[in-house]
Amino acid sequence: MLDFKLTQPQQEEQHLAAEEQAGPVYDVVIIGGAPAGLTAAIYAGRAARKALLLIGPLPGGQVATTNLVENFPGFPEGINGAELAQRMQQQAERFGAQIVMDSVKEVDFSASPFTIQTHAETYRGRTAIIATGAVPRRLGVPGEKKFFGRGVSTCATCDAFFYKDKRVVVVGGGDSAIDEGLFLTKFAREVVVVHRRDQLRATRIYQERAFANPRMRFVWDSVVEEVLGDKTVTGVRVRNVKTEENSVIEADGLFMYVGTIPGTKLFAGQIELDERGYVVTDRHQHTSVPGVFAAGDVQSPDFRQIVVAAGSGAVAAIEADRYLAEQSHSA
Amino acid sequence: MPLLNTEIAEQVKQELSGLAGPVRLVMFTQEFECDYCTETRQLVEEIAELSEQLTAEIYNFSTDKEKAEELDVDKIPAIAVIGAEDYGVRLYGIPSGYEFASLLHAIQMVAAGKPDLSDETLTALAELTEPVHIQVFVTPTCPYCAGSVVLGHQMAVASPMVRADMVEATEFPQLAQKYQVMGVPRTVINETAHIEGAAPEGMVLAKLQEALEAVKVPS
Repeated sequence: MLDFKLTQPQQEEQHLAAEEQAGPVYDVVIIGGAPAGLTAAIYAGRAARKALLLIGPLPGGQVATTNLVENFPGFPEGINGAELAQRMQQQAERFGAQIVMDSVKEVDFSASPFTIQTHAETYRGRTAIIATGAVPRRLGVPGEKKFFGRGVSTCATCDAFFYKDKRVVVVGGGDSAIDEGLFLTKFAREVVVVHRRDQLRATRIYQERAFANPRMRFVWDSVVEEVLGDKTVTGVRVRNVKTEENSVIEADGLFMYVGTIPGTKLFAGQIELDERGYVVTDRHQHTSVPGVFAAGDVQSPDFRQIVVAAGSGAVAAIEADRYLAEQSHSA
Repeated sequence: MPLLNTEIAEQVKQELSGLAGPVRLVMFTQEFECDYCTETRQLVEEIAELSEQLTAEIYNFSTDKEKAEELDVDKIPAIAVIGAEDYGVRLYGIPSGYEFASLLHAIQMVAAGKPDLSDETLTALAELTEPVHIQVFVTPTCPYCAGSVVLGHQMAVASPMVRADMVEATEFPQLAQKYQVMGVPRTVINETAHIEGAAPEGMVLAKLQEALEAVKVPS
């Protein structure tokens, strides 16, 4: 409670001067302000390319809501997620990236320069880097919508307090579920982890901490089928996928960490997506459209690590720079 | 034991070095039965030390009732950030965690008297004829909350009809219950309208207008 951070809130919108709004053509337009996009902005800036970074509704992405990041190299004591995101943004600004907080509504990659339309403006770029990441998947079970934001959540760092001394259910078996579940044990008197398999997917060190934590218990081979309650959440109904038995776990809240959905709706039909909706890229972050690159979770669901996202962001920006150099030589 | 370590204090000093004008941190507190009153008071006094433009004024909520009423302060700990004008910028509860940045932001905004909002929002706010009370419920560990607080405060600076409060939900559980706050940030406008999550400027403005429309008596 008595911790004072200098993290600046990131929701300020920067309003470009009128003449800039007329539509300069940027060398690189980066869509998405989380580790992949932020790293791409740093590299683009340092390559002396005129870069625009569009940061949408969740600045910093998933890392911003992570309380302590312990696996990003360079921070032996760990670093607060929002602070890490903020530092990346400061670094991008230092190297000249123009940052605008606005969501992208529409894109047109059919001709160069590409057009990227946000709520407020239309931007043009000679190259584009898609780094829109992924958002938490929801269960889609009865009761979930009714209680979302007041009993059902996907952000433990935001809402943990409201479950002080209460019991909460966490659904999931990966790093997010366990990491956030452990965070919740600082507030809740009991955290019940419901997982559809009999083994966790989470990194071994998280598993060790979880099993050693007296406030955490596990319900294996089970899925949540319904969120119960009248005015407030009173529990969840779970089904054991092996025995088909139904049971009720009494709880005051539910936190869902069941994977993520890639932010690719905007690009459907314009670039190649795989069957799960992720952007298809080659090893150099090229998409199916020349001049359009993708980085981070939006094109790589298999690793979902901050350092991997940052790495692919750097590659995307380097490739964008090479592409631009080739274009100007052949022009 | 200081609340702000040397490193943070230095950074805060830097942040506040270019303050456009004098700012008073008017704080209401009391000696007992108040979870974080002592710490909030200490924080206010420590910050005031870091800039010549800042002064801390400490009042007792019980004995200085008139002053509290004059400034519309109804709960403690309370910080009213007042510059050349009182724009209606308040913080209830200790501004710790991510909300510390909200406090610094409030100080800078109030000193300059200029909000950073779009022309569309500024025009809409200039046309307000009814008072608007924005309460942004937060918790110190919520990363998205500070953005909503800053937005509320900006609207308060932009318009004399708007006042905006940061309300730290953990210290005011009855209020959290009254407004059914179970997820933060939650922005409550004029008691009845509410927004879940960190909403962008346009959305908050729309909700604000909706809240005012709802009570209009058809002519």
